[in-house]
Amino acid sequence: MSLQKQDEHDHKAWLENKDLSPVERGFLVSLIWMDQRFRIVDYLELLETLYYRVNLQMPKSHTEQYDLDNKFWYWYPLYTLGFFSTLAYIVAAISGALLGFYYSPAIGGAAGGEASVAYSQIAFIMQDLQFGFMLRSIHRWSAQVMTAAVFLHMLRVYFTGGYKEPRELNWLLGIVLISLTMVFGYTGYLLPWDQLAFWAGQIGVEMALSIPLAGEWVAQLLFGGFSLSQSTLMRMYILHVFLLPFVVTALIALHIGIVWVQGIAEPH
Amino acid sequence: MTDDNTPETDGGGTGIVAPDDETPTWRERKERTTGLSRLTYEYFERARREDEDLRRESDYVERDVLAFPTWPHEIVRNLAISSFFVGMIIFLSATLPPHIGDPANPNVTPSIILPDWYLYWSFGLLKLGYLNPELSILGGQKLMADRTYGVLANVVVVGFIAIVPFLNKGSARRPVEQPLWGAIGIAGVTFALTISALSVQNLMPMDLRVLQDLTFLAPFVTGCIAYAVLKTMREGYMYDLNRRYYRLRPPK
Repeated sequence: MSLQKQDEHDHKAWLENKDLSPVERGFLVSLIWMDQRFRIVDYLELLETLYYRVNLQMPKSHTEQYDLDNKFWYWYPLYTLGFFSTLAYIVAAISGALLGFYYSPAIGGAAGGEASVAYSQIAFIMQDLQFGFMLRSIHRWSAQVMTAAVFLHMLRVYFTGGYKEPRELNWLLGIVLISLTMVFGYTGYLLPWDQLAFWAGQIGVEMALSIPLAGEWVAQLLFGGFSLSQSTLMRMYILHVFLLPFVVTALIALHIGIVWVQGIAEPH
Repeated sequence: MTDDNTPETDGGGTGIVAPDDETPTWRERKERTTGLSRLTYEYFERARREDEDLRRESDYVERDVLAFPTWPHEIVRNLAISSFFVGMIIFLSATLPPHIGDPANPNVTPSIILPDWYLYWSFGLLKLGYLNPELSILGGQKLMADRTYGVLANVVVVGFIAIVPFLNKGSARRPVEQPLWGAIGIAGVTFALTISALSVQNLMPMDLRVLQDLTFLAPFVTGCIAYAVLKTMREGYMYDLNRRYYRLRPPK
């Protein structure tokens, strides 16, 4: 017996100690050889954990306990609509930033029926600019998709009771966001200054004017007057590319932040 | 489902089985094995121990893992979903390109004036002037202009949606648990559709009076149908649920 401390991880010495049959010995040697090269032990540990997990009696989840799992699975695909609208918002932001290089919010001296600067810039983007048609198409479609996804997201939240007790503020924030999304869309489709834009703008001015007491003030603030003009287009442009992006992005971050903190309401 | 008070042994209840003294631990179960599997086990115990000792000796700091790693699990999944959705948007853009109308012309009023589709509901509310009562106290005059009435209707609709969380409390999370609120939701969706149809009344191939009546009748009807269906579904579910659940969370 030597005074030197025995190496308890000396597998060879351990093998010598044991009285093994040739089969056992061959098996162990090859196992050790393989394990030292490929770390089989790690994978076996994984398998082992898996085995125990499967065979363990786990506490039943809420759904299993009350036999509800066949009752709400159909909601699950709808749980990604919020993410989908955020994604469409990002695509719209990128394509919109690119469109912003070519668009200019000016009516110029265009009389009734003549193409304004804004209109001819849109025409230029769609006809002459490389990939311009696709760019405007992507911007418009991502905006449409975002609006649709936001509406459906709201319906999902309503029907699964996602607005309930600790989440009232996020519901209110969501209503602000869906309204701002529609304002985003409205200010956006006014920018080409075609017939649709003009007459939709007309509706807007009349709606603003019909607000009791504050109507004229609102019309001047939002539309820059009681009828459509250069200042209307300018205000819609500033709202669309400067004010709303900052406000909406901040509110979306807050909205998602609250979801992050509170967690997604468990369906049951 | 039985109605007597005998304890259920079908795995109901909490579902947690506490180990008693007779139950062998996993370690004991493994130690009972013999032969090659026993050898394998002994070797792996040694190897694991070795790993553990080496880890203790090293100055490498191991952190507790609290969740799935962001890379690759989360990122790969999110990238897959994102590229699919963005691809769908690009596909739509390529197949259905946008249209641009004639330049703005204040002198030519189009036969049909409409906003984009997502504002139809709001535009439809502006056309509710026919509901604005002519008050006899004012000598057949209306109290407010039709346009004001329409704008107020917008405020009422948005205001109602906003106060929903303050009216509907509790832990119910599915329409079947609250047939009334489910029915209100369905009626609301239908109203959004009918009011949009009212706003495009020039395009609707039906009499304006019929359309106006349907705007309010159809949501009522679908609401009632939804209520009946959800009520029936709830009865069906309640039959399957065990009584403990029923007692814990009574239906609203």
